Amino acid sequence: MINHHLSDEMILAYAAGALSEGQAMVVHCHLEYCDHCAARLREAEALGGALLEELDVPTLTSLDFDDMFAKIEVSEEMQEPLSMETSDTLQERATPAMLRNILGHGIEDVKWKRVGPGIRQYVLPLDLQEGENVRLLRLSPGFVTPMHTHRGSEMTLVLQGSFCDETGRYAVGDIQDADGDLDHQPVADTDVDCICLAVTTAPLQFRGLIGKLMQPLVGI
Amino acid sequence: MEVKGIWITENISDPKKGMDRKRSEFMRRVYKIMKKVQLEAGQLKGGQDLTADQLNDLLVTLGKKRCKSSFRTLFDFYAPRLKSFFLKVGTTEEIAEELIQETFVQIWRKAQTYDPSKAASSTWIFTIARNRRIDRFRSEKSYIFEDDSYLHKHLVMEESQSQSVFEKEIGHKMHKALARLPANQSEIIKMSFFQDLSHGEIAECLSLPLGTVKSRIRLAFKQLRSILAELDQ
Ligand SMILES: [Zn+2]
Repeated sequence: MINHHLSDEMILAYAAGALSEGQAMVVHCHLEYCDHCAARLREAEALGGALLEELDVPTLTSLDFDDMFAKIEVSEEMQEPLSMETSDTLQERATPAMLRNILGHGIEDVKWKRVGPGIRQYVLPLDLQEGENVRLLRLSPGFVTPMHTHRGSEMTLVLQGSFCDETGRYAVGDIQDADGDLDHQPVADTDVDCICLAVTTAPLQFRGLIGKLMQPLVGI
Repeated sequence: MEVKGIWITENISDPKKGMDRKRSEFMRRVYKIMKKVQLEAGQLKGGQDLTADQLNDLLVTLGKKRCKSSFRTLFDFYAPRLKSFFLKVGTTEEIAEELIQETFVQIWRKAQTYDPSKAASSTWIFTIARNRRIDRFRSEKSYIFEDDSYLHKHLVMEESQSQSVFEKEIGHKMHKALARLPANQSEIIKMSFFQDLSHGEIAECLSLPLGTVKSRIRLAFKQLRSILAELDQ
């Protein structure tokens, strides 16, 4: 049961293709967990489709249907048939398919780096816009972050365990969009390690969970 | 009834040429009414009078039979609109036409995965075009949008039948719903889709606080949902 969802703005920006790559990745992973947001995304995409249909119709200058079709027919012969396979549900896999794609394995095989007592991380090897980072974060049970006030924005998706702060409790599939002057003190509150996927965007800001955790420890 | 929103009056052929101001204002009104009638009849403007249902059927036929004439009709309808879309989001004319071609290559290859009970053809084609654009302007390591049909393949499957019916209808009704949205809300929705701006940049552009932009987006979605639900009855 997912309690914390994406905002309409995030859904709209994702539908429009306007999110940064790191943000889009984390949003996509939440969508793998969440039918509710997936349905909202389809609404927003339907909006995009309707707007597309209402656009004006300029003439094409060099593109011609017959030329294009000839090229498609040629490349068709070399094309492998489209696979229609379906994959397991997320419950069976534990790691969102997109994340597994990037890691090459599940979250159980991540090579963690210790950044402080009770906290480990793994920064994803992605080629993102400057200052943007996507990382996996692993908190030991009971880990309490020091209380800090920072500014900035960050999105955090829970993959395992849970954490809670003044805004509520975040369990598997829940997403926290730390946008605004959120001032919180997250605590890993289950007896398993809490693993999160989080994106921080440039310039590096320290408002959300990652900022709280990392800034006093490693001075990012 | 007054037609709200900026979508109705935009993009019709310019009635100003060779007319005085008063007459042009009159013509605008006429176009506005024509446009509204067209939309209410479920038809879309453009070269052909194709309804959303006809467009969906064409895409289904393309997927099932690899039908070249369906493909051509879809091309004639969507290619100019896609050009408009790519130009609006800031590509050159040359790249716009390359992206249209890439989009249609994908449409040809993936048409067999299109399911009209899950999305209108316009929605399906919009997502492909959006992903082509992202692909072109983002790094080659972009995993995020590499599979156009990912969400449809993996996420829509578990949907209940009743929900699917609603999904299908969304595409049809969205035009009407959009027309009823207050102009200051549809403006921001339009900018989000067509100007390649973040919401922060939109706020700057409109000299509005970011919070206002966000609350207008939320209001717009709330209103769209209630209009869609109303149209459902
Ligand atoms: Zn959700």
